[in-house]
Amino acid sequence: MGIRVGVDIGGSFTDFAVLDEADGSVRALKVFSRPDQPGQEVMEGLRQLEARHGIPPSAISYFTHGTTVGVNAVIQRRGLRLGLITTEGFVDVLELARLKIADMYDLFSRRPDPLVPRERVFGIGGRIGPDGAELRAVDRASVLAALQRAQATGCEALVVSLLHSYRNPAHEQAVKAILAEAAPELPVFLSCETWPIIREYERTVTAVVGGYVQPRVAHYLTSLQQALKNAGVAPEPRITKSNGGVMAAEQGKADCIQMILSGTASGVIGAAFVARSAGLKKALSLDIGGTSADVALIIDGQPQYGVGETIGEFQIYIPSVSVSSIGEGGGSVAWVDSLGVLKVGPESAGSSPGPVCYGRGGQKPTVTDSFVACGLIGASELGYNAVRVDIVAARAAFATLAQKLGADIEPVAEAVQQICVSGMYTGISALVSRFGIDPREFTLIAFGGAGPMLAPMLARSLGMAEVLVPPTPGVLSALGGLVADLKNDFIRTIYSDLDAATVPVLQETLVALQAQGRAWLEGEGAAGDTLVTADMRYQGQSFEIEVPLQAAWIAAGNLAALREAFHDRHAALFGHADRKAAVQLINLRLVAQGDTPKPVLPRLPAADGEAVPSASIEAWLDGAMRRVPLHHRRDLRAGHAFPGPAVIAQDDCTTVVPPGCTVRVDELGNLRITVGERAA
Amino acid sequence: MKTDRLSLQILADYAAAAAEAMAYTLMRTAHSTFVKETEDFSCGLLTPDGVTFASPKTLGATWYIGLDYGPAIRLIEDYREGDVCITNDPYSGSVATHTPDIHIWKPVFVEGQLVCFVAGHIHNTDMGGAVPATLSRTLTEIQQEGLRIPPCKLLREGVFNEELLRLMAVNVRLPEQNWGDLNAQIASLAVGERKVKEIVARFGLQAFRDGIADLLDYAEAQARRIVAAIPDGDYEHSEFADEDSEGGPPCRIHITLRVRGDELVLDYTGSDPQLVSSLNMPTGGRERHVLVMVGLGYVLYSLDRSLTLNAGLLRVATAVLPVGTVVNPLPPAAVGMRSLTCSVTQVATLGVFAKALPERMPASPAAGMTIMNVRTMDRRGRPIMASIGPVGGGAGGEPAHDGMDGCGANSSFLKNTPVEINEAEVNVLFNGYGLARDSGGPGLRRGGAAVFMEFSVSAPQTMITARNRDRTRFGCWGLRGGGAGANSRFTRNPDGVAPEELGNRDVVLCQPGDVIRVTGPGAGGWGDAFARDPALVARDVAAGLVSEAQAEMGYGVVLRDGIVDAQATAGLRAVPRTAAALFDYGPGRAAFEVVWSAERYAVLTRLLAGTAVTWRHWVKKAIFTAVEAGEHGGASPGAQLEAIFADLIRRFPQLGGVAE
Repeated sequence: MGIRVGVDIGGSFTDFAVLDEADGSVRALKVFSRPDQPGQEVMEGLRQLEARHGIPPSAISYFTHGTTVGVNAVIQRRGLRLGLITTEGFVDVLELARLKIADMYDLFSRRPDPLVPRERVFGIGGRIGPDGAELRAVDRASVLAALQRAQATGCEALVVSLLHSYRNPAHEQAVKAILAEAAPELPVFLSCETWPIIREYERTVTAVVGGYVQPRVAHYLTSLQQALKNAGVAPEPRITKSNGGVMAAEQGKADCIQMILSGTASGVIGAAFVARSAGLKKALSLDIGGTSADVALIIDGQPQYGVGETIGEFQIYIPSVSVSSIGEGGGSVAWVDSLGVLKVGPESAGSSPGPVCYGRGGQKPTVTDSFVACGLIGASELGYNAVRVDIVAARAAFATLAQKLGADIEPVAEAVQQICVSGMYTGISALVSRFGIDPREFTLIAFGGAGPMLAPMLARSLGMAEVLVPPTPGVLSALGGLVADLKNDFIRTIYSDLDAATVPVLQETLVALQAQGRAWLEGEGAAGDTLVTADMRYQGQSFEIEVPLQAAWIAAGNLAALREAFHDRHAALFGHADRKAAVQLINLRLVAQGDTPKPVLPRLPAADGEAVPSASIEAWLDGAMRRVPLHHRRDLRAGHAFPGPAVIAQDDCTTVVPPGCTVRVDELGNLRITVGERAA
Repeated sequence: MKTDRLSLQILADYAAAAAEAMAYTLMRTAHSTFVKETEDFSCGLLTPDGVTFASPKTLGATWYIGLDYGPAIRLIEDYREGDVCITNDPYSGSVATHTPDIHIWKPVFVEGQLVCFVAGHIHNTDMGGAVPATLSRTLTEIQQEGLRIPPCKLLREGVFNEELLRLMAVNVRLPEQNWGDLNAQIASLAVGERKVKEIVARFGLQAFRDGIADLLDYAEAQARRIVAAIPDGDYEHSEFADEDSEGGPPCRIHITLRVRGDELVLDYTGSDPQLVSSLNMPTGGRERHVLVMVGLGYVLYSLDRSLTLNAGLLRVATAVLPVGTVVNPLPPAAVGMRSLTCSVTQVATLGVFAKALPERMPASPAAGMTIMNVRTMDRRGRPIMASIGPVGGGAGGEPAHDGMDGCGANSSFLKNTPVEINEAEVNVLFNGYGLARDSGGPGLRRGGAAVFMEFSVSAPQTMITARNRDRTRFGCWGLRGGGAGANSRFTRNPDGVAPEELGNRDVVLCQPGDVIRVTGPGAGGWGDAFARDPALVARDVAAGLVSEAQAEMGYGVVLRDGIVDAQATAGLRAVPRTAAALFDYGPGRAAFEVVWSAERYAVLTRLLAGTAVTWRHWVKKAIFTAVEAGEHGGASPGAQLEAIFADLIRRFPQLGGVAE
């Protein structure tokens, strides 16, 4: 029995989830993040862990870590000065991308500058055809010429991405060999090694983002390993991955692209763990911070996976936990436009300077301030005493806004909450439509600093019946890392009609993938198994869907089963299937998964009697000033139940329960809020 | 405004969410590749009068924000719960703009009262007619463009009109695909209807009705504020398509923009007569028809990106669309390829606004996006057809930035197809796909570079089709001293012994070994290129977007081994130059306008107005031929045209009939 520690570094706070395997209890800890000295916050947290909870580093038996160091390098454009080698004639792969631009009504809309500018993209001779056959050999002289230009333009590393390398990596490997011979010190990243998918832009941009962040991430991980060792933490740290799994830190240094979204993914993994332990079949996770709200679908306790997740201004195409980000959060700024209409966002006060009420220099009224102005927040402490709420300043900021609108402070503050909710409604509605789900069947799992504050109102507007607020909503991402499985993805392109001629190819490929998967698990020193899926489509379609398969079908050459699996999946996703149409299999994929021990969460003691509020506050909610009971989370026990309006305060967040809703505390300490109609 | 100013944005969000939910449903369930590849569809919420008040902002085609279903809605006598109506006829109701676009709409009732309509369209791959996929520039009458369905009921109180479905099925080439798309549209409307009912339940019936009116008023008020900042005055601009029919003379779109306070008139008088080809734009002469307002939407939104995109913004403008012209044709004019002409009207609109606001408007984008298709056969002789992507160009240079390369401006909604997918799908091998050097017009802010695509054909009897070919003759204009972009090119065997220029050809039959190269048009530059920072020119040269020769000629920058030779550059830039005009149209158009000046066009427009609509295109071509042959060459331009016209009347007295 030992202590497991999960650490998640966010923009303002670094969260620690500390799990005692002896009794299953989870403790939460927050320290300020140190963007200036990444890694220092981990040391600070370990110090506090010993000082406040008496847990020495030597007691730690398992350590996981999620970090935004990779994604920040892309956002701040502080990665490597890269060069890119492409097939001659195709040097504009990054410039053209897939053409379409998001803001399509704007004549001045622009695509972000690529991470590798055109003057550092070099075409080389040699060509592989679509079937993998070599049409022209690699032109060695052109590779050396590219190298010379790369060195002349100060490239610190090269990414190599050649046409059809997903089918035949020989040319990329040959280029790497030539470069290694001529410039052994120069790091070289191959697209076929990063993630070998068909579609040259998607494969190239993924390799470029991976190469771009590589040294920063590797350096960060090395310092973390060293610091943990010095502090006396014995186990090798594990890093959370974009695909919701974990891997050894050592592996992370080579596979930086795999951990680039580790922060957002681990929040969803944490929420999925909560959903499983609470027995929820259908849930939406809602993580609201200062600048954005991240929403993800969790079905049968499992997150959904996809490709094309956004990193800064780019999308990457490795399998990731599918998360939709909405650009509104607690820090979104309220304002009045020139025609006198009230708006919220897109400007955000973020975590710095933050809302007016934090008293850290924020001057503009935010969504969080609107809750303060209504009297819903401020009656208790916030953020482990790190933040004191300045009610006067928040109300003053809203007084200015109210004056412009010729209205009173409270109705304006409530309108700001409703506009924020309607904006999130629009974002979530898009997700709901894309997946074709009915939100009324789903439970909203709210976490992050601002999630529990807004979730009941949002659930009401979406027609969702229930909101769940876990016991430690502020550190759910850190907890997610603790419970994540070892996990790695493998892919091979098949791109072929699903017919008898394809069967031997599938069989051969599956054997190779399974060997790769087993080797990876062995490398991680774990037992586990492998799951097979395929990206399939109807002939003539331009996008694929991922279909779970059984390895036995491929081994037995059971084409009918493979086809049926696709038709069924298509019908489930899109409501129709054409069982007579020809089917294509684009990629065969394999997930290697190794279990990590799961904690057994402790039960909350049962209540004896009614929940007793610690105070009764005067607050504006649903169009009226009301007397609202204020509960402290730590006072609540399993079985406690009370109706809204209510405010539940805890160290890391505040839950606001409007009238018409009811709260019940379950055995695991989750707040289960049944959402009712808005009061008239 | 009746709605509380505190809650207008909330209603706007809910309405937008309803429209987006409709769009996602359509995209998830549609069959047609047009929906999935190029997002050629629309959907939205309409007032009971048929005006669009909410549409998705990031999905679907960009032309339909102000679409007015009113005339089509009013062609149906009564509406009941569960009805769904349909039309694709460009000549009844002015909603559909060519036959592949099937529009359907559905009334939404709450407590027995009609509260709004939900509506949308999909571009179906085929609606029957003379050619596969229905569309061709060569078609001359609407009857050749497939089945036309005037507004009628597709479902009556939830029950399908089976006779109509059978009629459709026997008239089209891919009935299953159309049926699948139709079901997707019906599903999309059902989602929209449900969402509207939820909104009404939330806000209340009266508040919903007031809110719709306020949303339109709000967009109008925003638009008026933008327009009020444009100096009053009359601004004229002509824009030309290379050909008005296969191998024909240019097609002119002429706009006079009249700005008065916070109102605008877009007067299309002076635009060409309706054509005996399918380039006509069917507007029914409606003063706010979307096809003649697309450019305006772009301009207003670009001037203020907080503008709410709904039909309210179009209230600031009216269009004058003379009957029997390319912008208001009478039946039976064919209209299938109206997209090419619409693109020209968009650039013409940018042109008039560039005259009004040269400091704020961009130079011409690379209007004219060729859609390339390859058709070959598989082992069993079955046809394989694949769209291998659009080939166009970038955005015009603009006051603050270079134009975007390869795409942008009014073609931002298009997606390409990966080379690796194209090669896996059809028997062509790509030699290159990227940005074309020296294609963007030089300027203080360079015009966006064009895209080129080059591939070799490896199967016999490979048919290459290129839809919407244009701009091989007339380039895209530069503004305020910026140069025009390079012209588009379409060549067979460009590096062979006998390269063949294919110009604006639609269809090319290729054999193994043939190499096809298409280069889109370059966008125009903005501002004086000789004032461009030499370091930026050097960077463009290093990036391969500008040649050293162009650096010297176009920018007055001399490079030695990639490094700016400051002294030689200063010398070149010190040479006195003639002051640049506001617009640089490029050599093709300059040469054309030496003959076809504004003066000649004024006379031509007047003469053609005196002949019957159905003769006009023939007469126009005859006059062009005569001018080219130098007939009556000694006379003044006006007198020459009068004399040619008189000759024609003498030979063919029926041409001198009365105007309709």
